[in-house]
Amino acid sequence: MTDIINSLADAVEEPEVQPNDDSVAVPEIAASELDNNGFIKKNTKKVSLDAKKARAGYIFVLPFLIGLVLVYFPLLIDSLWLSLTVPAETPIGGDSSRKYYAFAGLTNYFDAFDTPNFVTGLAAGLQEIVFQVPAIIVFSLFIAVVLNQKMLGRAVFRAIFFLPVIVSTGIMEVINANGDFSDISQSGIDDGSGGGGANDLISVLDIQALFANMNIPGGEELVGYVVQIVNEIYDIINYSGVQMLIFLAGLQSISPSIYEACKIDGATGWETFWKVTFPMISPIILVNAFYTVIDALTRPQNPMVLTIEQVSDPNDSSAMYWIYFLIIILIVAAIAGICSTFVFYQRRD
Amino acid sequence: MENTTVVTKETKNRIHVDYEGKLTFKERLLSKLKASNTWILIVVNIFRFILMLGVSFVILYPFFAKIAGSFMSMDDIVDPTVSLIPKNFTLSTYRAIITENHYFEAVGNTLMISLICALIQTLISCLIGYGLSKFKFKGNGVIMGLVVLTMVIPHRTLSSAMRGLLNNYDIFTIKTMSYKGPIELIFGSPIDLSETFWPLVLLSIFGIALKNGLYIYLMRQFFKGVPDELEESAYVDGSGVFRTFFQIIIPLSVPMMITIFLFSFSWQWTDVFYVNLFFNGASDFYLMRDVHGMAPPSLLQYQYSYAGWGIYKVVIENTAGMLIIAPLIILFLFCQKYLVQGIERSGIVG
Repeated sequence: MTDIINSLADAVEEPEVQPNDDSVAVPEIAASELDNNGFIKKNTKKVSLDAKKARAGYIFVLPFLIGLVLVYFPLLIDSLWLSLTVPAETPIGGDSSRKYYAFAGLTNYFDAFDTPNFVTGLAAGLQEIVFQVPAIIVFSLFIAVVLNQKMLGRAVFRAIFFLPVIVSTGIMEVINANGDFSDISQSGIDDGSGGGGANDLISVLDIQALFANMNIPGGEELVGYVVQIVNEIYDIINYSGVQMLIFLAGLQSISPSIYEACKIDGATGWETFWKVTFPMISPIILVNAFYTVIDALTRPQNPMVLTIEQVSDPNDSSAMYWIYFLIIILIVAAIAGICSTFVFYQRRD
Repeated sequence: MENTTVVTKETKNRIHVDYEGKLTFKERLLSKLKASNTWILIVVNIFRFILMLGVSFVILYPFFAKIAGSFMSMDDIVDPTVSLIPKNFTLSTYRAIITENHYFEAVGNTLMISLICALIQTLISCLIGYGLSKFKFKGNGVIMGLVVLTMVIPHRTLSSAMRGLLNNYDIFTIKTMSYKGPIELIFGSPIDLSETFWPLVLLSIFGIALKNGLYIYLMRQFFKGVPDELEESAYVDGSGVFRTFFQIIIPLSVPMMITIFLFSFSWQWTDVFYVNLFFNGASDFYLMRDVHGMAPPSLLQYQYSYAGWGIYKVVIENTAGMLIIAPLIILFLFCQKYLVQGIERSGIVG
């Protein structure tokens, strides 16, 4: 018995005992996969498809990564360092002296709050966002829904609505801010020049007359809001071009079969909008809210940016910009928090 | 019931069929009008059309006002009876700006810069967007977060740092910390890029130029909508990742790329922020900001002698603005179809 067991054990162990023996080389290993000593080459070239794809992914985003390391992070650190320092000099000898930036902790940040106009500019900038962002979102969604329907002259309207995206940026924003001929010579409609007063499209008094008989709680604020929205209509239209495009793309991606099902079930257009279109488009509302806030906060005509631009000292202004940036982050995070509670993500299979 | 149907007319898209008991056109129209919701539909349509017309007017009115002002002579501007249509039609404002503010040189230079930047930005955001959407690798989400970060941090925050670094480029240097970078140590001085468009090109190549975060995001969303099976079948047929990208994905994404190109081209065209950072304006390299920058000298001489100067100054500025955006409007008229098409087909979902 023991002999049989031993021989069996030998038979089992045999290949393991002499793995390097050429005589028992496994036939399916090709000669090219063996190195000079007859060992199987360490196979580094065979990588799983996933790993291969991951490597390709890195190559695709490589330009951005290089840019981050070579340009963007140095810029960020530079700006951050500038905000934490004050200019200083040490005499080297004779008349010459070496100029450098001495670390000053958070003094620039505390100084920023003492700078006149900083807090008021900040408040004005934030107020503008509170006013404009909801208006821009609602307006661009509304226009996108309308432009998505079949109607007379749709192509022409689309062309007109997207004209500001292409044209009213950069230099044109500066030029628009100075108004135009009709704006200065006589009253016309308000076109974003912010002249106020006589040139306004409607005045608070008109609206108050309209709302006089309604006892709405917070009516005064509502009246003020409506007036501001109407008088800033040109700005709102100008700034909602990209959002309109993104909404339009989102609306196009909703499957027509869902609308067909709604129609068969007898839903009205109103119901269809609130029960189908709105939930389906809610992720895009979030995206657009982000974009609008960022766009509103970073555009050159923003009161806050204008205030900071007037500060001549680079240390102070970069400290202000960093405070401003932290506030932007807070706002964006708050919006993400609020919106993510109602955003609906369709499960796609 | 047996209907005898006769095809009377057949074209490519329509077939006219006659059959027994077919209502005449008049009868069909009447029955349609009698349907309860027809009138509501008509009213809604009219209301919608008028609303769109009104909003279009708000958008277009400033352009009309600017164009009208630009053709006015100096007499018209002080004339209270002239509101929009000029009495003495003149091209002198245009002529002065074109000849004295180096308009055509500015168009040439700006065209070159915008074209180079827009092409690079479109291609690069296509690459990065594709990498971020179709490949799972470590740090994918982090990189997308960094893309968003480049959007969230206002570039004005970095303006002085950009001026310092990109005009005299050196690797791994922080200008305010004043130490010498590797290039300065080897060659004696950092690379002088001031007064060239290289800083803009560099920013474009690295995907961190003006609003590039938005382009990358849009491209990423677009590629997410492209079915994976397309690439898988290409891989099965033996095509590599890059060949698949250049031969299958790029041709597929042309509409979206046109949209991105239009954005980047026109935003680069009207940009003043970067132009002011990298070109100090002392040289003869005229750009769009020089067209708008100041009134041409032949008109500036009226500054004190002419009563309507305050308005006229704005008119000159508006005229310059119209000249600046004229090429863009022409481009837009040709491409607006693609702008909407590209983004409509993108299938952006959240």
